[in-house]
Amino acid sequence: MPPAKVLLIDDDRDFRTSLRAVLEARGYEVIEAESGKEGLKKIVEHHPSLIVVDIMMECCTEGYSVTQAIKFQRQYEAFRNIPIIMVSSIQESPDELFPMASEVDMIRPDTYLTKPVDIDKFVEVVERAVAA
Amino acid sequence: MTTEQSERELAGVGCQAPAEQAPPKIIVIDDDSAICLACRKILLKEGYQVQAYEDGLRGLEAITTWKPDLVVVDLKMPGIGGMEVLSRVHEFDPHIIIVVITGYATIDTAVQAMKCGAYDFLPKPFAPDPLRLIVRRGLEHRRLVIESRRHEMERELIKRRFVSFISHQLQSPLAAVHQYLEVLRHLEDSPETAAKRREWLERCLKRIAELEELIRDWLTLAKAEERVLVAQRYPIDLRPILQGILNSYEQMAAAEGIRLEARLPEQECLVWGNRHCLNVLFDNLIVNAIKYNRPGGRVSVSAQPLGDGQVAVAVSDTGVGIPEKYRRFLFEEFFRIPRQEGEAKPGTGLGLAICRKIVTEMGGSIEVESEVGVGTTFYVRLLAPPETAEGRRARLEQTA
Repeated sequence: MPPAKVLLIDDDRDFRTSLRAVLEARGYEVIEAESGKEGLKKIVEHHPSLIVVDIMMECCTEGYSVTQAIKFQRQYEAFRNIPIIMVSSIQESPDELFPMASEVDMIRPDTYLTKPVDIDKFVEVVERAVAA
Repeated sequence: MTTEQSERELAGVGCQAPAEQAPPKIIVIDDDSAICLACRKILLKEGYQVQAYEDGLRGLEAITTWKPDLVVVDLKMPGIGGMEVLSRVHEFDPHIIIVVITGYATIDTAVQAMKCGAYDFLPKPFAPDPLRLIVRRGLEHRRLVIESRRHEMERELIKRRFVSFISHQLQSPLAAVHQYLEVLRHLEDSPETAAKRREWLERCLKRIAELEELIRDWLTLAKAEERVLVAQRYPIDLRPILQGILNSYEQMAAAEGIRLEARLPEQECLVWGNRHCLNVLFDNLIVNAIKYNRPGGRVSVSAQPLGDGQVAVAVSDTGVGIPEKYRRFLFEEFFRIPRQEGEAKPGTGLGLAICRKIVTEMGGSIEVESEVGVGTTFYVRLLAPPETAEGRRARLEQTA
């Protein structure tokens, strides 16, 4: 079986580098994108098994926009069920960031992790998501 | 989110243009139907929206549903009296202006109403003019109160966004370094890891250096804001300062094939300033001119006393230029021009904010001219030192 593909979307190259090392050490194939736009392009190109996306990139909710596009835009219909892990250096939960409950429901990621991510937890979440 | 939106977000929060103002709304409550009608007529003529009620309870209902700006209410009515209306209206909205009409014009009742939050009172019988005047003043008062509350809220919002933005700027590099260290600790020792270890450590050091730069810049800005930096001013010759900065960047420029030129006057070029501030100011401008230049480009720096108590300095480059739509945000804290992928340059986004602060505090000005693809010039005006008595005497003797 070919290794599962993980797409890392983050404008911080150091996060991509360190998380890539963790994932590759566990046999995953890693694809990187440094913006939401590039990420959406690579989803179509590579059809990853899992997406890890940073919330704050060029603008402070770019990660949410990416998630929203995948879940709701017609052109990404084929990718709607790919699990999404959202990461951010903000210590708040998405519910606090976006108090409008309906909006959060709409764009709620499958998992939310805070940077720097705990490696054991990250690996556990990734494995669970890919297996699902 | 569109780029335009994020630009605005980074450049601080712009105030929303006030919506087209509807005429103010006024409710008149008086059991005397003649007064009700008269007030309504007078106030309608003034261009206000007016509703009149002869019954306190119905008046109160209208206040909670129609939400007027001002209420004119008779103190003495059967059923619900003016005092009760007063307290119940202010429970609903403490910023509604209330003018009480008092039939028995004793100072006591008026004072009591004012104590309960009435804005002013009208003793019966009253002529149209005092009514118009009090209503106009009351509405003006309400406008000022609302405006100052809005400013307060806007300031609060800007402050909150600033705090969340700066914490993100500080947290990102720390989190990146932390992440590398976690990974280094976690990964099994292997030849691949060993090869990467050095590269990762280099990246950690670089991120820490960036963080230090950000903290240093932020402190400089804070000090400039507190006027600590520019409090002490002396006559300072600009020439060695500019030449010194240019010399220190010669290598950096040469690496990109960029030529550095200085056109400085033969005589002293004195400004009234602080050496450290002037160094920070021109260091920022010159580094930008090198950083945002093209390979093989040119940076030129000129200084010229203008003879009217001012000194003009220009720093120009032959670089990428600044699109017009970004120019108004250029001197804002943390504003950075969105660049194409791969073209982004390191920086804190505070350099030009510091420049503007320093120049302004020294009594000067800074402006930018730019053409995309051709280059950018920053024009700085600084004050020459105030003339001393001796200098003045010498000048007069010379001309005499």
